[in-house]
Amino acid sequence: MFALIKREIQDHIVYFIGAAVFSAVFIIMSISLIHQYDPKVPPVFSIGLGIPAVTIVIFGICAMGATQMYLDKTRKISALLSTLAVSRSRILLARIITGILAILILLVPQTIASGILLRIFTPPIPMFPGMVFEISLVVFLMAFACYCIGLQAGWNSNPLTPSLGALFLTCIFIPLILIKGFGVHIVVILVLFIAASLIRTWRTFMTTSL
Amino acid sequence: MKPLIKGLALNYPVKVFATGFVVLTLLSIPLFWFRFLCESSLAVRMPDDAKGVSIRPSGLVPPELEDDPNVVIHSIVSASIHSELPQSLGIFDYFIARFPGERRSNVYFFSSERDCMYFDKKTGQIVRFYTDKQTMPDKTTREKIVQLYIGPEGVSETPGRTLGRFIEPIIDRGSARDFILYDKKLRCFFKIGFNQRTVIKGPKLGKDFPPHKPIQIGQLSKTTFELHYLDWTPPQIKVPDKKDPNRTDLRTELKPIIPTFHDCDAGPYLLVLDETGRVDLLDKETLEFVTGAPELPGVAGRLPGPETYFGPKGSVTPRELLDYEVWPLSLTTYFFENPEEVRVTFGDPSFLFKRSPARVERKYLGMFAAGLSRDGTALALAVFDENGREIKTEYSRLPKQEGRYTTYVESSKAVFFGAPWSPVLTIGKFLAENLHPPILSVASYFTASAFEADAGHRALFFLPNSFIAMMGRERSENIAERFMSALWFILPSIILAICLAWRVSKDAVVVGLSENARMYWIIGTLAFGLTAYITYRLTRPKITLVTCLNCGKMRRPDMAKCHRCKSDWHVPELTPPAWRVLKGAEEVDGGSTADAKETVAE
Repeated sequence: MFALIKREIQDHIVYFIGAAVFSAVFIIMSISLIHQYDPKVPPVFSIGLGIPAVTIVIFGICAMGATQMYLDKTRKISALLSTLAVSRSRILLARIITGILAILILLVPQTIASGILLRIFTPPIPMFPGMVFEISLVVFLMAFACYCIGLQAGWNSNPLTPSLGALFLTCIFIPLILIKGFGVHIVVILVLFIAASLIRTWRTFMTTSL
Repeated sequence: MKPLIKGLALNYPVKVFATGFVVLTLLSIPLFWFRFLCESSLAVRMPDDAKGVSIRPSGLVPPELEDDPNVVIHSIVSASIHSELPQSLGIFDYFIARFPGERRSNVYFFSSERDCMYFDKKTGQIVRFYTDKQTMPDKTTREKIVQLYIGPEGVSETPGRTLGRFIEPIIDRGSARDFILYDKKLRCFFKIGFNQRTVIKGPKLGKDFPPHKPIQIGQLSKTTFELHYLDWTPPQIKVPDKKDPNRTDLRTELKPIIPTFHDCDAGPYLLVLDETGRVDLLDKETLEFVTGAPELPGVAGRLPGPETYFGPKGSVTPRELLDYEVWPLSLTTYFFENPEEVRVTFGDPSFLFKRSPARVERKYLGMFAAGLSRDGTALALAVFDENGREIKTEYSRLPKQEGRYTTYVESSKAVFFGAPWSPVLTIGKFLAENLHPPILSVASYFTASAFEADAGHRALFFLPNSFIAMMGRERSENIAERFMSALWFILPSIILAICLAWRVSKDAVVVGLSENARMYWIIGTLAFGLTAYITYRLTRPKITLVTCLNCGKMRRPDMAKCHRCKSDWHVPELTPPAWRVLKGAEEVDGGSTADAKETVAE
């Protein structure tokens, strides 16, 4: 399994480098924004800056999923690996774990940094209890859901369908954050969506002939 | 007719449900935006005349003030709708609700780190910071930051278990120094005095009638970022222009007949909003509900129900209103040391006086309450007297001139058809609702009142603001009649679902789905409409069909029998040929080709 994950990381190293770079950029952005922090004013500027940034990142994660599946489909990677002592379920599992790792590389440092910055720079009162956790959880789930969209759209031999399909579906899906915010409702919807998408991807991947 | 691949039959429903949910979610989002666009445009285009409602005279001002001969403008209470639907989107609601002082924040107010108050969930105590000026022995003053911890058992400068724990407190956010608090779990009112550092505990609320379930106390309103404004103006008198007092013939200024400071002060009482929409009066001293008129014991009034598209609604709960606001009115009389010096004011502007009064009398006059309908299209404004009796209720309506007569159309109807392009937007909203799965529309009908009004504006699957849900909240007809008439609102959706089910049925026969599978797909398509159809197109078996030798129609090669004529495979038996290629043929060296052929024939 580790060998498979390692191979997936090597194949898609660009996305991991991108995740690390974006993570650093986000931390720098957070540090600069926290200086303008005023508890009496809603953080409109931060939200205004945060939404496009998160959108770009989520598009990137979706592209990663689409690329993984498209390259497999066109280069017959899993067909080759299946000739070795590796099952297809393990190949897909390794792929999904790789996707989660990329998302975590992006979000975990940012979440930790935000928590520390808020603790240092905001007044010692529970101004935003649980807010960092809630927002990070929703962004993680949204990124993972879009990654799943990429996995579904990418399983195609035609290069246009994965790229445009994933882009279109992600454009539809990301505004769910605008509709539902970062509360419990969106978490439930995203968890169900991820579960449904993974089942669909699993079934498609497992039943498609090599 | 079982498929040859058994796993396919087992996993097919799982795949269908998974795909169905993905499709439902992805389809619901663009439909939401389309509905949102139509509803926002309708709200923006709503005629201005239909957005406001006013009552003049307001009805609460004592006659000696209202009917004073110097009064040129009577008191007026008014409310108006502000069409700012984007604020109802989840992302705005999330941040606004967590803003200090808002419903999801434990910070009651925040001016600075030195002046704030919040509820510490861990300790169950309220923490208050403020700056106190202390006079030192050398008569210099020094500022000291005071940090107080408040529990049900007392106030202290250090936190401790002896103070007890609040569990779910709600406070009167209108005051910062001394305030009254209610704990939903402890079911008690508490009066906190910062200066005396005392906590007075009121009697525990019993299961008396009417049962009390307070949800808000003091300043009663749903949102700080208001969707509607409630305003009250006292009777106005004319006074000469101060700039040129000699020229009384020209300009004059208007000013309130008596000093007014409207700070939501209910005099000796505190307004308490019950979850049923009733507003009670709490005595600030005894912390007990006021017992007033026998038929309305201690009731100050109730939230008014706006006229919805299908008629007026008598009583509403706070959950059913997109926004509400309640303003009490009180009359304060200040008696000074000079017995002839008496000053009467609306509200409590005592901080404006240079001298402290010898005695103060506070009288509660009544309250104004405004409620905005669930969809933000109708407003109701009601005035209640000091005994909680309704004096007058007005609804937002659009005046329409028809010849010599003026008719009034409810604003909830005017919004859909009263402005240019409104009918187009209404049809757009109606069509978008009809692309929604019919079963979810029916579910919206039954759950119409179950959702918080605010949450209805960001609903994806159940639509509490759809036309069918509006009908679901209507209570005038009997259940069967109401349901049948509600189905008219989703008739296009039902027709579409039937058409799609017919197409699915036809295609399912072609692709060879079993009888059961076909039946499930037809039921599913009738229930979920377009969503089910897209799911079907994505999950239908993708098998290359072959021509059946028996019936000539296309059949599935992975089934033992033709799914059209039920005939078996007519596959030619693979009998081995009598001839074979022998190695010896190659060994016939120098032999003629004819010889070789003969050898093969043998």
